[in-house]
Amino acid sequence: MVGDRDDKTTAIQIRNLYKVFGEDPVNALEHVKQGVSKSDLLQHHGHVIGLNDINVNVKEGDITVMMGLSGSGKSTLIRHLNRLIDPTAGEILVNGEDILAYNENALRRLRRHRMSMVFQNFALLPHRTVRQNVALALVVRGEPRSEYEDQAEYWLDRVGLKGNGHQYPNELSGGMQQRVGLARALASNAPIMLMDEAFSALDPLIRTDMQDLLLELQAELSKTVVFISHDLDEALRLADHLVILKDGYVVQQGEPQTILMDPQDDYIVDFVSDINRARVLRVRSVMRRTNEPQPDDMPEIGPEDNLEHVIAVSHGDLGQTFVVRDQGRQIGVLDMQDLMRALVPTSASEGGMRHRASA
Amino acid sequence: MATYDWVFSGLGLDRWCDAGGSSAPTSLADLSAQTRGTEGTEGFDPWELPFPSMDALNDACPAFPQSRQLTRGLEQGFLDVKDAMSVVLDPITQPLSWALEGALYAILNTPWWIVIPILLLITWAVSKSWKLVSFVALCIMGLAFIDHYDYAMQTLAIIFVCAFICVLFGVPIGIAMSRSDTMRNATIPILDMLQTLPPFVYLIPLIFLFSVTEPKLYGIAIILYAIVPVIRLTDLGIRMVDKHVIEAAEAFGMTDRQKLFGVQIPLALPNIMAGVNQTIMMSLAMVVIASLVSAPGLGVLVLRGIRNLELGVGLVAGLGIVLLAVILDRVTKASLARINTTQKT
Repeated sequence: MVGDRDDKTTAIQIRNLYKVFGEDPVNALEHVKQGVSKSDLLQHHGHVIGLNDINVNVKEGDITVMMGLSGSGKSTLIRHLNRLIDPTAGEILVNGEDILAYNENALRRLRRHRMSMVFQNFALLPHRTVRQNVALALVVRGEPRSEYEDQAEYWLDRVGLKGNGHQYPNELSGGMQQRVGLARALASNAPIMLMDEAFSALDPLIRTDMQDLLLELQAELSKTVVFISHDLDEALRLADHLVILKDGYVVQQGEPQTILMDPQDDYIVDFVSDINRARVLRVRSVMRRTNEPQPDDMPEIGPEDNLEHVIAVSHGDLGQTFVVRDQGRQIGVLDMQDLMRALVPTSASEGGMRHRASA
Repeated sequence: MATYDWVFSGLGLDRWCDAGGSSAPTSLADLSAQTRGTEGTEGFDPWELPFPSMDALNDACPAFPQSRQLTRGLEQGFLDVKDAMSVVLDPITQPLSWALEGALYAILNTPWWIVIPILLLITWAVSKSWKLVSFVALCIMGLAFIDHYDYAMQTLAIIFVCAFICVLFGVPIGIAMSRSDTMRNATIPILDMLQTLPPFVYLIPLIFLFSVTEPKLYGIAIILYAIVPVIRLTDLGIRMVDKHVIEAAEAFGMTDRQKLFGVQIPLALPNIMAGVNQTIMMSLAMVVIASLVSAPGLGVLVLRGIRNLELGVGLVAGLGIVLLAVILDRVTKASLARINTTQKT
């Protein structure tokens, strides 16, 4: 999961991507490139910036989370990846191929074989059974019934809906419907999975369930997942690579722990100040790296454990020191005082919107 | 002297007016005015100022056409193109005549103990409700008992043929409308006109175009009148399909054809069926009026009631039409309800 990002092949490369909504986007784009702000562009030119110079590399086998508030362009961005929306300018390379140059047939092949998608509002076909919905990608490709039914059953079983195959989507609860949506995307066997606020419409407990399910499946399948979310907790939980969007541009991107420890923008500070740090910070981000041999009786923790877990293990003893071992090899130590220091919350930034809201 | 003389003299058109002479036939009003000898004697009275209509202007200038020449011109124009139109329209619409003749022949020459069970079987197939089947059986047998069986079956046969053709053409037109805004903008005024034109008016040009003895005459009138709802509701139904579902269909790489037959039409089906229901009901309304142009069925009896002042005949036939309407409405609504329960959204 940690891995070195540079080792991985890039599955999707987004380069200088712009999207302007309005009657004459090409001309308006010139204004955007000259640095006209979003509100000015809307007021004086009647155009809306959707995406502003996006550059992101999505690595194979990673969960890349794009996060932002509503209106930040994240849903627009994900729809560019399978060209449900076409950009005004820029390039999108999937495995090195420019998908904007694709004709209709090539685009359809991309959507059928290389990308699948999960939607916020599930978007299941209401007139087909759950089994047929899961098999959608296979049916669309024209595979025979005997084959797709088995596949559909397999994936239904994997998402925990064994025996619901004959039901209609409206007979299931929201959480179950999204499991169907997930199974539908998985059944297509596409290496890339786009998830547009997939869990946002679910209530918190079910959402956590679904996140667990996704992580569990991901550990086994290693898909390239692009996940859209407006929830930082969710983003931090899932992300290998986190991209934070605001008003259509990328504010900061990188490893989630890095962003958490070193937010570079008031907007992000505001986000970060609002979360449970103990739950999202991991031992490797706060430990002291050292190879010095430690006493044998010192308790052990792993680098991927979160701080909440460490606090639980320490039973609240502030004098405790832990040795951090990754697969048996010692990589550092963590004492409880460092841990406490890392937990000191960043207060909402003074220039940020939360400060302004409370003033 | 007429009120609007000054218009023509002001425009310097006196000579044109005089040259035109009074080719128009003399109107009754002119004649009576002449006999009374009052024309042009009194002075100008604003209270009596006529609207500058074609007739009033004709008074001032005989070369100016009277309004009756407008209607006559229209008639003449229509008669002039009639033959050319018939050459094209006759062969195209001939299958309609065959279909109607065939359906009428088949339903009247099949014994009642075959026709009635078939109708009940159809009812069962679309509604799956024994209650409705027994209601339909009761109605049809009631009509047969009072010796209205043949008339009712003729009416039903005509409705079946016409409604089928309406669906055959209406659904594709509706689909085309839902896919292209241009097509929609072009079609909607025509649909509006078809829907607001009084039903009798349909018959006027058709009588000129086709012979009154041909079944297609009333067939076309019924189809034009009844096709509108199925077109409108197909268009509406497809446009109302959930955008998110369409997006999902696209994201999984469906072709346009897969999208249309796999997603849009099935999801629009409740609306389309509502359109079919309306179409059938409107066919029934028109088939009664079409008895004026020799459409057989219960309408003929109603017409007889009016013409010969046979109160009882007219009323019984009218009630028979009501029964048919109720049957058709219930059966189509029952099938609509079944579609709705199999695909609750």
